[in-house]
Amino acid sequence: MPPRSAAKPKDRNRPRKPKPCPFCTQGIEYIDYKDLSTLKPFLNERAKIKARRTSGVCAKDQKMLAAAVKNAREMALIPYTTR
Amino acid sequence: MRRYEIMVLMTDRIDEEAALAAFEKAKKILSDQGGNLLEEAWWGKRKLGYEIDKRDHGFYGVLDFEATSDAVNELERQLKISDDVTRFKTVRPEIRVRTA
Repeated sequence: MPPRSAAKPKDRNRPRKPKPCPFCTQGIEYIDYKDLSTLKPFLNERAKIKARRTSGVCAKDQKMLAAAVKNAREMALIPYTTR
Repeated sequence: MRRYEIMVLMTDRIDEEAALAAFEKAKKILSDQGGNLLEEAWWGKRKLGYEIDKRDHGFYGVLDFEATSDAVNELERQLKISDDVTRFKTVRPEIRVRTA
């Protein structure tokens, strides 16, 4: 398969190959809301949850991640938003 | 009996000793209700992600236990009444990832 950078102009509009899900590849089955070091990389600088298209998280894990982030927010472990 | 995990957030209007006492009280309620404590963690004073009741610090404690749903309801009821406890959260971790 040719490298992505060498894509022909014709391929430019074609959908990109999705990034592998970081949770599935690491074999994480349960995202703990207390484990802030795993949640932090999926928040942007405004403390919002990153979109799946940027983080590459699969639908199943994004759902679990979102729930974990929301639990952590309720317990004031992470802010709802930062200004 | 089911596995539960409860996180308790206590105000910093009281000192660490009093907060620990409140945490111990929660453990006592649990054992009185026939709960089986598996693990506990005292996080101590932490900065909150945002201000709650004009306070930006709080004491955190986590209890990991096995109990009946009635025991959990009773514990939650008592935590709700307590003035030292600002917030708490009960979760049922389906699968636990153990960090060695």
